[in-house]
Amino acid sequence: MSALSVRDVSQKFGATSALSDVALDISEGEQVALIGASGSGKTTLLRLLGLQSRPSSGSISALGHDLAESKGKDLRQIRSRIGMLPQDLGLVPNHRVIQNVVLGRSGSRNLLGTVRDLLWPRKADRDEIFQILERMGITAKMYDRTDSLSGGQQQRVALARTLFQGAEILLADEPLSAVDPARARDVLELLTGLSSEQGMTLVVSLHQVALAREFFPRVIGLKEGRVVFDGKPTDDEVSSLYDL
Amino acid sequence: MWFGRRWLVVALGFLLFLCVARLGTDFVSHTAGSDPWASTFRFFSGAVSPSFTDQNPSLPADAEPFFSRLGGDLLRTVRYALIATSLAIPAGLILGFFASEQWWPANRSRVLFQFIRWPVRISLALMRSIHELIWAIFFLSAFGDAPFSACLALALPFTGTLAKVFSELIDEQNRSAKLVVTAVGGSGAQGFLSTIFPMALPDLVSYSLYRFECGLRSSAVLGFIGVETIGLSINRSFENGYYGEVWTALYVLIATVLLIEGLGHLTRKRMTQGRTREITPQASEEQLRKTAPRDWFLRSSAVAWAAVIVMAFTLGKPLVTPMLEGQRLERLSRFLTKLTPDPIAPEKSVSTWSERGEAWSEGASGVLPWLAERWENPGKEALTNTLAMSVAAIILAGLLAFALVPWGARSLANQNPLGVAMSGGRFLKGLGFVVRGFFVLTRAVPEYLYAFLLVGLMGPSAWPLIIALALHNVGILGRLWTEVVENQGEKIPRSVLQVGGSRGQGYLGALAPMSLNRFVLFFFYRWESCVREATVLGMLGISSLGYYISIQQNFREYDDILFYTLLGAMMVILGDLLSDLVRRKMRVGRRE
Repeated sequence: MSALSVRDVSQKFGATSALSDVALDISEGEQVALIGASGSGKTTLLRLLGLQSRPSSGSISALGHDLAESKGKDLRQIRSRIGMLPQDLGLVPNHRVIQNVVLGRSGSRNLLGTVRDLLWPRKADRDEIFQILERMGITAKMYDRTDSLSGGQQQRVALARTLFQGAEILLADEPLSAVDPARARDVLELLTGLSSEQGMTLVVSLHQVALAREFFPRVIGLKEGRVVFDGKPTDDEVSSLYDL
Repeated sequence: MWFGRRWLVVALGFLLFLCVARLGTDFVSHTAGSDPWASTFRFFSGAVSPSFTDQNPSLPADAEPFFSRLGGDLLRTVRYALIATSLAIPAGLILGFFASEQWWPANRSRVLFQFIRWPVRISLALMRSIHELIWAIFFLSAFGDAPFSACLALALPFTGTLAKVFSELIDEQNRSAKLVVTAVGGSGAQGFLSTIFPMALPDLVSYSLYRFECGLRSSAVLGFIGVETIGLSINRSFENGYYGEVWTALYVLIATVLLIEGLGHLTRKRMTQGRTREITPQASEEQLRKTAPRDWFLRSSAVAWAAVIVMAFTLGKPLVTPMLEGQRLERLSRFLTKLTPDPIAPEKSVSTWSERGEAWSEGASGVLPWLAERWENPGKEALTNTLAMSVAAIILAGLLAFALVPWGARSLANQNPLGVAMSGGRFLKGLGFVVRGFFVLTRAVPEYLYAFLLVGLMGPSAWPLIIALALHNVGILGRLWTEVVENQGEKIPRSVLQVGGSRGQGYLGALAPMSLNRFVLFFFYRWESCVREATVLGMLGISSLGYYISIQQNFREYDDILFYTLLGAMMVILGDLLSDLVRRKMRVGRRE
């Protein structure tokens, strides 16, 4: 079954066309890398896949739900099953680690529930977060301020937020943009490892073709808003991906 | 770019010339026979020999001791400021929400949004453009002589300012975390409350403390229209020539303001930095939670502030003077009649709404001539004088601050300016301390108080008021500009010093041009505030809007007061719009 399905989607911002006639299916548990130059439409596509904006034309469905037919509570309910890891991680710097992680479940809480989560998190949630952070190797930081953590540790906090959310799909926007080359592999190992472990569908946008090829069974190449490559690149095809 | 900068300097010089031409060059104007130097000398002697007892020899033996009286005045000053600020903060947050474009959920009807937003924005602009002294004149007349009037007079303009600043602070926060919360299914309100609000909190708290500090100054100034605050003590002691008492009160006020300023700095620093564990424990969740880093200073000060606010509301003179409901309504009705322009005012001072409506329809045609008459004489002239005073003051403050900043900036006034070893370090370090101290002291005293003292010493002319405005603003601009210079990257200015340039050359050749945009932004910020202050400084007897307000106050002609007040408010709103425009063009970070 398709976790994400995109049918002839185009997205325009004024006169600028960010995506043109994109069509693709991503199966449950699949790990996909989006490759393309800056401005090729990767972030726009990720936002559409995360149901955060509606396309100018075409249709998108996530986890069997059509975006066009989902509104209000229904839409929020679907979103609560999709995790998002933005380029700058989207953490509140002056929150404690646990407070950032607990926000992963905002979709299944109301306003008062969120306030309670932040001020007096439930015992069951605290235990669950402790276990998640243990897997991430940062339990000792659970009650520390997030901005006191290193960049790598903060990335783990953002991932812990997705795990606590119980996301079935994880969309990561350029997670290697602020990571040195030596740590890039660790980040991708962590992401793909968690995806395999949890059976979580993973879509990651990247600039590094070699890493995409090494870690992902499927690579989608975007150029000027169009899909120009889709599959596992062979040695001959790799050079064309470098030109994107 | 240089073309623009040169024009800026030429334009400011030309504006200053115009102001001097308008206001004249009679810097000191004393009546014949007076000896201004002697009284000036006596006044400044008081600075080195402040009084610790009453200077009035004719006080009865059982009169309240000087320090006890001063302490009472100070407590009332703090109380009014505290009540006003604690009312203005929630009101500012709520109204700031309605006034801001960013806070509104994107999917709400645009018509409804504009329908609510614009009336709120206009009301907020009006609230903050009218000076607290004028609000106090209105409220004291409408509600009577009660602390409530004083607190409301402070709270109203503060609400306007806080709403504006709060919405800006919130809008400046990074929205990425909020996007994550909405991306995982949270609502906009959840996103706001769980991410944007906590991120903005250190700035909101810090600015609220700064507002409280402003509240202390404004509360003191209310003393000059008879409200029992420290300003009243200063006023009485100065008029009786007890300069030692004046200086003691001034020192007490400055110390209190500095204490709050220090507290604000400390709070902001602790909230921004947070606390970290020295040793990272490998422990259970419970142990980690129990040993989590907590800032007891912040926690205990939050509790202390809450307790002090409750005390301010409950202890001391009752906030509202006991009055029968009928009496209160009668008083309000009389005030409303006096506030209504003459041609449309009802005949009886206590009238019903239908009588007011009748008077309105009968006299409506007389309103325009009534307005024109006041505009022609003296509105136009008073408005021009007020504008000229504010412009002259801010230009003078800007020039002095620009000259002092290199001597106050820690990055320049030391042995290794910008990392380059130079001579004269020890002397300059001392000078830097003196300059920064000058900035602190000048901004700690309200403009109105400076003006009151300077008019007493220099005689009645516009210049004491201009100098008073300039003095207060040089302290604020000096501090803000020094911070801008200190926060600049060192690489470029250092290259000037490395090739043999002096500190002054480093400042004029690199640091000042690099900082110019921010200098201009803060300059406009303060000019906006100068316009507002210049409107009321005339109450000290100089021909500006405040002068005519003060004259009409004597005759209780509140309709005339309203006319001059709205004239001033219009100018402040225009200044506000101009300042906003410049700020948008140049993108600003912080505010004062």
